[in-house]
Amino acid sequence: MGPEAAKKNWVGKPLPRKEEDRLLRGRGKFADDIKLREMLYLRFVRSPYAHAKIVSVDVSAAEALPGVVATLTGAELAPQVQPFIEIAPDPGGKIKDYALAVSKVRYQGEPVAAVVAESPSLADDAAELIQVEYEALDPVIDGEEALKDASILHEEAGTNRVWRGVFEYGDADKALKEAAYVVNIDRMHFHRFSSTPLENNVVIAQWDPKDERIYYQCNNSFPSFAIQFLAAHLQVHIDRIRVQTSDIGGSFGIKITTYPQMAVCAMASKKAGGRPVKWVETRSEHMTSSAHGNERTFRDTRVALDKNGVITAIVSRHIDDCGAYPRYEPLGCVIWSQVFPGVYRFKNARIDFSQAVTNKCPVGPNRGYSRMQHLWFLERVVDICAHELGIPPDEMRLRNYIRPEEFPYTTPNGCVYDSGDYPKMLQVAKGLIGWDDWKKKQAEARKQGRVIGIGIGTTLDSGTNNFGQSQIVNPGAPFSGNSQGANCKLDIYGEVVVAVGSCPQGQGHETTAAQVVADVLNIHPDLITVRTGFDTERNVHTGFSGTYASQFAVSGLSAVHGAAQKLKAEMKRLASSVLNTKEDDLEFGAGAQGPEVRARSTGKSINYWGLANIVNVNSAVLPVEMHDVTLNCRYIWRAPFKVPDTVKKYGSLTLTYASQLHIAVLEIDRETFIPRILDYVAVDDCGTVINPGIVEGQVYGATAHGIGAALMETCVYDAVGNMLTSTFSDYTPITAMNMPKVKYGHTETPSPHSYSGAKGMGEGGAAPIHTVSAALQDALFADGIFIDDSFNNADSLFRAMVGKEISQAKQLVRVERRT
Amino acid sequence: MYPRAFHYHRAGSLTEAVTMLSQLGDDAKLLAGGQSLIPLMKLRFANPGHLVDLNFISGTSYIQEEDGGLRFGALTRHAEIADSALAAKIPIVHDCAAGIADVQVRNRGTIGGSLAEADPSGDWAVVLMTLATEVRCLGTNGERTVPLAGFVKDAYTTALAHDELVSEVRVKIPAKGSGGAYIAFKRSAPVYPTASAAVQLTMDGDVCKDAAIVLGCVGLTAIKVTDAEVALRGHSFTDKAIKAAMEAASAAADPQSDMRGSADYKRTLVGALVKRAIEAASHRARGEQVEVSHIYA
Repeated sequence: MGPEAAKKNWVGKPLPRKEEDRLLRGRGKFADDIKLREMLYLRFVRSPYAHAKIVSVDVSAAEALPGVVATLTGAELAPQVQPFIEIAPDPGGKIKDYALAVSKVRYQGEPVAAVVAESPSLADDAAELIQVEYEALDPVIDGEEALKDASILHEEAGTNRVWRGVFEYGDADKALKEAAYVVNIDRMHFHRFSSTPLENNVVIAQWDPKDERIYYQCNNSFPSFAIQFLAAHLQVHIDRIRVQTSDIGGSFGIKITTYPQMAVCAMASKKAGGRPVKWVETRSEHMTSSAHGNERTFRDTRVALDKNGVITAIVSRHIDDCGAYPRYEPLGCVIWSQVFPGVYRFKNARIDFSQAVTNKCPVGPNRGYSRMQHLWFLERVVDICAHELGIPPDEMRLRNYIRPEEFPYTTPNGCVYDSGDYPKMLQVAKGLIGWDDWKKKQAEARKQGRVIGIGIGTTLDSGTNNFGQSQIVNPGAPFSGNSQGANCKLDIYGEVVVAVGSCPQGQGHETTAAQVVADVLNIHPDLITVRTGFDTERNVHTGFSGTYASQFAVSGLSAVHGAAQKLKAEMKRLASSVLNTKEDDLEFGAGAQGPEVRARSTGKSINYWGLANIVNVNSAVLPVEMHDVTLNCRYIWRAPFKVPDTVKKYGSLTLTYASQLHIAVLEIDRETFIPRILDYVAVDDCGTVINPGIVEGQVYGATAHGIGAALMETCVYDAVGNMLTSTFSDYTPITAMNMPKVKYGHTETPSPHSYSGAKGMGEGGAAPIHTVSAALQDALFADGIFIDDSFNNADSLFRAMVGKEISQAKQLVRVERRT
Repeated sequence: MYPRAFHYHRAGSLTEAVTMLSQLGDDAKLLAGGQSLIPLMKLRFANPGHLVDLNFISGTSYIQEEDGGLRFGALTRHAEIADSALAAKIPIVHDCAAGIADVQVRNRGTIGGSLAEADPSGDWAVVLMTLATEVRCLGTNGERTVPLAGFVKDAYTTALAHDELVSEVRVKIPAKGSGGAYIAFKRSAPVYPTASAAVQLTMDGDVCKDAAIVLGCVGLTAIKVTDAEVALRGHSFTDKAIKAAMEAASAAADPQSDMRGSADYKRTLVGALVKRAIEAASHRARGEQVEVSHIYA
């Protein structure tokens, strides 16, 4: 290795994104931009009921409409396919999940039938003509109510409790017995919200009779997972399914779970004689039936603390509501435990975790997936305990944080936190916001009757999953570890081309991958072409490929780095032969004829065209001992995981832990009850930063998403399961007009678990939800109000502050004092 | 979603549009800015057989001053009003135009279309009811003038006959010493307000000579709160007088619980908005410059 190998000319630089030019000029290529010859358009007929028997489906009028090519019903589809794989063991494993409802519907918006026609508007016309007769059943809207099994969603499972597990570590009962204080919190609730990507779901499918293969062009964000489900469901060899993605307009995890719609489009294409079928989701369809985030209720929480306010144990019962079908669940039933103790040091805990099905839209991974619910719970616990013990919230955190010198830190459930410095982040954030000044202003404002709160949220964004955690929910699950593939080659004319099995949705993978390869080869990133977007036939995917779960900086870039190193090694071997010198005499760089490999001793060089020429089109001159040199190097990176202990629910579940510390200052208007953020700081630590501009952009995006979730965005169902927030007018996703100015700061604790020290990031741990709740809580402690829900808006604050709901709130928290 | 099939007609003049309406019957709808109608058609909640497009008729978008009043052509876009120095002579009109929905809606939506739609959550009727406003209506039998208070009959219902359209909106410029303000609370930019309040005050020193107070989004139509006006008229703005006006506003409100807020909350909120609008209006009545706008979540 020459000394240039260690140089970092590009990694760490705020290089403008390579993607920017085409995306900002409106030249991105998105799935809906694709038009194919003889393309047909699909429209779903959806259930208006939350829970009902399907008595009959009459498609005759639709089929008679000129321009309609085919219809499809659940009853017709079911005998031709296998039910989708269930990740859950029994009873959840017994659920029969089809892409179109067969004998009953289980949420409003569930697809019941589909129609394909020559134009999108004809498909809409035909969908109106399909007559479905229903017989209403009792809907189950609340997760806790669902567990009573008064009305069962899935008769084959026999219960609405589709999964249960107890996560127990240390000796919580002993800690509770010996505690100086025990704080009891009756009930808290994390609300249901979603992501609202600019681009809705899109599927184009063609079941081509010429080669009996299924071609997908879509914006699914985890295609290697989708094809595993689809191959089993459609009963075809997985090699017969080709999936391609192009530019994707946001996913935030929500686009992982489109495989049912992908199945319907393929079956519709098959029925239509192999013509390609396109489905473009409407916004209302997206809101009612794509996927929502997990809703969770925390019951009967008991927190043990010593006399100094150090938490020694937490015991609690958590009920997760996954909507009508588990689908990607019950993975969420274990994924939260990646951050089991949050950023805190307590060793003893018992969490009794159940998941319930309800007559609501199925959930899917949603930025901060399953962990944000738990982190919010822990942050509420910390603030409430601090208040009850009379400890300031910053001081309470310092007493309970895992200390910088304890890293790498093994959590009670065997996760290894790679690095971090939470006290330093708190210090940086307090400095940026002007903590002491705000405390003074807050005290003065209170004297004038104004209600101001200052809240801290400390969060983890765990990245690069060990899929072995699936075995904690189902010991029979055939998944463990994690991997990603990449290919790095010199093309025939010497161009450097990188392919990686990711499907970015705005994360700038083309740029960061080019930065990594540029440093390996010591050339400018502009000389490197990066092919992102999934394509089964590019052959760089593994079973884990896609873009999700805060991992590209680790899994994706490790694969790219590995492939580039392989290519570089081959280039060295070849160049040393051609230039007749030793490999360690060679250096990489750019010369008069472009990128080249040079011999230091003689000054002779060969450029990339020369190297590629020998291998590809001038191969008679390639020495025999070099015949294994291809300059086309595929590398699979594998995460160093073991299968967790599924009985003890113990093991390393994620590789890196980025952390966020946010502080919000917020005022609630006494007359309008409108909460307004007066000041906001976001401090982020994602280890070694590959591209500061991209990281900062992700932090702003995640902060907006979280503030929206905390104050504006909630999925609301009425008592019979009508979704009341199916349009943006009702759901009110956050816009720039609602955003406070965010002060950004960052600290850097390199990860020992990745080759570059980088950590996955992008989910932001949903930090603003905890932080806004903390600020509201700080504002309202004086009124005797506890923030027991993650969603708060002017209306709910009015209801709490004007008194109608205070009496209940006062009973929420009870403290046992034993000193 | 795509709308159901419909026939598209492009009118060359307002008179031709009226003739088309009369000939096509109840199944025809006018297309002005389309900011309510098009989304409803895409959701297939509205399915007109015929659309008569007014957007290509010249001379329907204007703001003119005449005889102490402003005349707004029916197809004048909200954004044109927001940007107009002439319209800014009535500050409450500027407040409204600049705060409606988002930039895209303001660029397309029209003052005439908004009044004719008579959505209970619309902004224009609330503001214009605090002023002396007349609506010019053109029908097959010619033009007539209807005072705004008589124009809006009920939710989505106006004095317009089927074959009539709004051709112009006329607003009297308030005398010197009068000032108004409009404040609405919206959960996010593009949505209808949760509640809104328009206040126009005429002051004589510290004493309120006249007051007009109108509430929006808290009933089937904009609500004129006479009790609140009485509470202010002839008084200076003591805390007591303002409190009485707030309470009268809350009492007059008749809101529904929905995703924008519970009825109780809206009743309280509208009182608070009235208070703020009174404060801003009283400053303006004294000739002071005060910026107010829609309040966002």
